[in-house]
Amino acid sequence: MQVPAPLDAMVQAIRRDADVISARQMGRALAEDLGFSRPDQALVATAISELARNIVVYADHGEIELTTLQQGDRQGIRIIARDHGPGIADLERALCDGFSTGNSLGLGLPGTRRIMDEFDIRSPPGEGVTIIAVKWQLR
Amino acid sequence: MREVISSSLSDSEGKPEFDQDLVDAMRWFDLSDHDRALTSELGDIADDVGERIIEAFYTHLLADETASRHFRDDAHIAQVKKGQMRYFRELINADLDSSYIADRRRIGSIHERTGVTPTLYIGAYAFYLNKLANVVLDRMEDDPAKAFSMVLSLFKIAHFDMALALETYADTREEAIKARERELSELPTPVLQLRPGLLLIPVVGTLDSYRARALTIQLLEGIQEHRARAVVLDITGVAAVDSAVANHLIQTMAAARLMGAQPVLTGLSAEVAQSLVKVGVTAEALSTAGDLQRGIELAEHLLGE
Repeated sequence: MQVPAPLDAMVQAIRRDADVISARQMGRALAEDLGFSRPDQALVATAISELARNIVVYADHGEIELTTLQQGDRQGIRIIARDHGPGIADLERALCDGFSTGNSLGLGLPGTRRIMDEFDIRSPPGEGVTIIAVKWQLR
Repeated sequence: MREVISSSLSDSEGKPEFDQDLVDAMRWFDLSDHDRALTSELGDIADDVGERIIEAFYTHLLADETASRHFRDDAHIAQVKKGQMRYFRELINADLDSSYIADRRRIGSIHERTGVTPTLYIGAYAFYLNKLANVVLDRMEDDPAKAFSMVLSLFKIAHFDMALALETYADTREEAIKARERELSELPTPVLQLRPGLLLIPVVGTLDSYRARALTIQLLEGIQEHRARAVVLDITGVAAVDSAVANHLIQTMAAARLMGAQPVLTGLSAEVAQSLVKVGVTAEALSTAGDLQRGIELAEHLLGE
């Protein structure tokens, strides 16, 4: 059984393309509520989209969890993408532009890392992939 | 555990067999042979008062306007009552095996289809359990402790039943949603000829890989049919554009180019454009125009007009 998410977190189970859209919309709405600029709302939505899409394509199912962070007087959005799929054998390569084991552009992970302020990826053998990414509000 | 209850639906068509999922599910409900043995002892009482409880239940049910709407006539009521008697008898002493689960799920899906809401279903269940429990505690006055544990075991099995039914409700809905999604993704994308040699394709909705493939085929057929030399692909109506969608578009546009038509992409919003660039999608692979009008102008220019 999974560790439950903190109470203020929003979770979207990711199983198919429609869930990617739901997660993305959830993220955009949260970013809007927190007063992120429109371009930043789009960045958050895109990051969620990329991470959720990876879950559908590579892990079959997983979840996206969104939490609001507070640091001093600025707020941020933390995205956690979690799956229990086969994991990523070579994290370093997976973070390189253009590397893909699927038939894609290979921009999902490196692209997400570029558009977020913080990015951490873990894939211990046999435990799927957990990605934590944070976007802070511009001051 | 969750998988159990949901996956047994697909097994229901095939051979019922003893599986690990069922074992896990029963462990989750803390259900054991002991519970089964205890509730089986309720058989006599349940048979004895079963009919009366069901009669009382129907009085209760038919007094409720929403609930009574589910019944066409007396014959229908009689038929459903008979089914209910069987249902409750199985609750008391049927083997909790794969075929039991399959049967419960079948009933759940009938309920879902006929519009019996979870509230109605669980409410009916609660009514029966409440009445039966009272009778049991009454009749076993001399051994209340045993009566109580029998009732508790019965409640466990009833909850297991309700979980099965609710999983079925959710699965049935999910199937319906999936079917709708499939239908939507099969909606043809119109290929409009604006003038000889120039096509406009407005793409609306979600661009998943299935849909992208269909779009590519339609685009290529359109190019062939209309002998098009330029195509404007407008994605104003695409819900979400990320690198996967961009990839589909790039491939579709490359295919158009191979067919001898110049593709122009329009309808990217400023925010989407910015995030795509940050993600790393480069504009070289895509010829784009700011809006539809400029896209058409660009396409006309490409046509040499």
